[in-house]
Amino acid sequence: MFLALKEIRKEKLRSGLIISMIVLISYLIFILTSLALGLARENTDAIDSWGIQNITLDANANVDMRQSLLTAPQVGTLTDKEAYIGQASVVAKATGHERISSVFIGLDSHQFVAKKIKLTTGHMPQTNHEVVVDTSFQESGYQLGDTFKLNADNTNYKIVGFTKNAKMNVAPVIYGQLSTWSSLKGTSSSTIASAIVSKNINYRTSSHALKTYSISKFINKMPGYQAQNLTFGLMIGFLMGISLIVIAVFLYILTMQKLPNYAVLRAQGIPSKILVGATVSQSLILVLSGLVISSILTIITAISMPSAVPMAFDIPILIVVGVGLMIMSLIGGLIPVRSVLRVDPISVIGG
Amino acid sequence: MSVLSIQHVNQFFGSGTARVHVLHDVNFDAKPGTLSLIIGPSGSGKSTFLTIAGGLLTPTDGDVLFDGQSYKDTSKKAREQLRLDSIGFILQAYHLLPYLTVADQFKLVDKVKKLHNLTPMELNELLNQLGIQDLINKFPNELSGGQQQRVAIARALYPDPKILLADEPTAALDTARVKVVGNLFQELAHTRNKAVVIVTHDIRLKEFADQIYELRDGTLTKQSTKVFV
Repeated sequence: MFLALKEIRKEKLRSGLIISMIVLISYLIFILTSLALGLARENTDAIDSWGIQNITLDANANVDMRQSLLTAPQVGTLTDKEAYIGQASVVAKATGHERISSVFIGLDSHQFVAKKIKLTTGHMPQTNHEVVVDTSFQESGYQLGDTFKLNADNTNYKIVGFTKNAKMNVAPVIYGQLSTWSSLKGTSSSTIASAIVSKNINYRTSSHALKTYSISKFINKMPGYQAQNLTFGLMIGFLMGISLIVIAVFLYILTMQKLPNYAVLRAQGIPSKILVGATVSQSLILVLSGLVISSILTIITAISMPSAVPMAFDIPILIVVGVGLMIMSLIGGLIPVRSVLRVDPISVIGG
Repeated sequence: MSVLSIQHVNQFFGSGTARVHVLHDVNFDAKPGTLSLIIGPSGSGKSTFLTIAGGLLTPTDGDVLFDGQSYKDTSKKAREQLRLDSIGFILQAYHLLPYLTVADQFKLVDKVKKLHNLTPMELNELLNQLGIQDLINKFPNELSGGQQQRVAIARALYPDPKILLADEPTAALDTARVKVVGNLFQELAHTRNKAVVIVTHDIRLKEFADQIYELRDGTLTKQSTKVFV
């Protein structure tokens, strides 16, 4: 540590350049992680808020709630741990407002899902012309009591409440009653919902026409969800790999330049563990400094980023990413250690 | 008793037709209180002699004893500890870490060898003697070649070694400084009872030596021994 600190202090420009490189890479990784997380959450926020373990859909719907319609005979009797969900894609339109592509979720107000919705203001729908909407409607200028129309329907729907983080398939959710969903969807009288969700992990449907899926499987099958996460995962993975190479190359060059000095120290009996410790601690100090600066930059970004940008700054996840970078730097720092261990003190004697 | 005893050492490098006989049956003893000067031209085997003496290289034949114990019976780690505790190396180049001030060069020794280093007063006295007391906060790149060499000498003496092995310690010094350094080595040998071995081709150091050897084509020959009255 002594040697590492002294060298960093003396070689300010060189150390500053390495730290800048680490800042840029880690900042990019933090922002990409937050973006990946934000987009992933915008797919699933609403589902996460329901607190469900599994979902039952039409067996032929290809695990897609939009394609699923369930009839009363198929569903049978539900316990208080199950609830109906009716999903429809809608466009909300009102004079003086931009059209908002949304997901309409029809709920039975007596079932647990409707009871789990946390409102920031207002109350849950009590008639089939009342709706609760995601707070992004507020950001688009809607207020409590405002009305809008859905699709080609001429009915005015009144906003009676707002709820935070109600997003599904990267679209804001409009919660209403199941009967509203039926009329929007234009279903027959025997159709009861799009899906049954349950908080009982052991719930299974008895109907052969339906199929129960775990919630993780359902989310992974959401259109574009897995592709998007894989893309971000690959980008973050590649950046981690690049950071390892960058750190390793810089430290390798730094260490190579010092080998003659290290050879003298080895000749003088300075144990190699001191020199290895200096190399490793130097990489850790540089990376830690870079991570601290990029964390500060990420916090500033999080504060200044408009809410329209789908970014989620989850501190535990960012800490995991930071630790990942530290591990990468440690591996990068260990590569030149081999040269330090092999330094030949004889090489500096004579001339 | 000798601090360092080199007995019938032969050193070969390479193999087959490229095999080179670098040292021929070398015998040498470094006793406390004695300054030994080994003079030889380039390529005579001086560096090989020094690396073997310091336990950095195991000779092809023969034995090297430090305080009566053979290097052969000593592990690599123990030889490393021996160099840290008892052998002061003064090398020709790359002697100082560029990012440590003169003071920090000594602090580094304190970090790895906590006991039996020079006291602050003794260090101060040594720095004064070498004329580098005002350079304590300077980095090596702020020093001249001669100043760097003197700091390297002080650095080698700081752990209070039993023996000093010096490789061309006066190569970068003018005649006046050679006198200072020569006197210092002499004083270290005579007053502080150190064994001092200097490998050099600088004949200006002859006047300070107690024993003068010539190393030519790998053969070590004793030239003279000063007789003290």
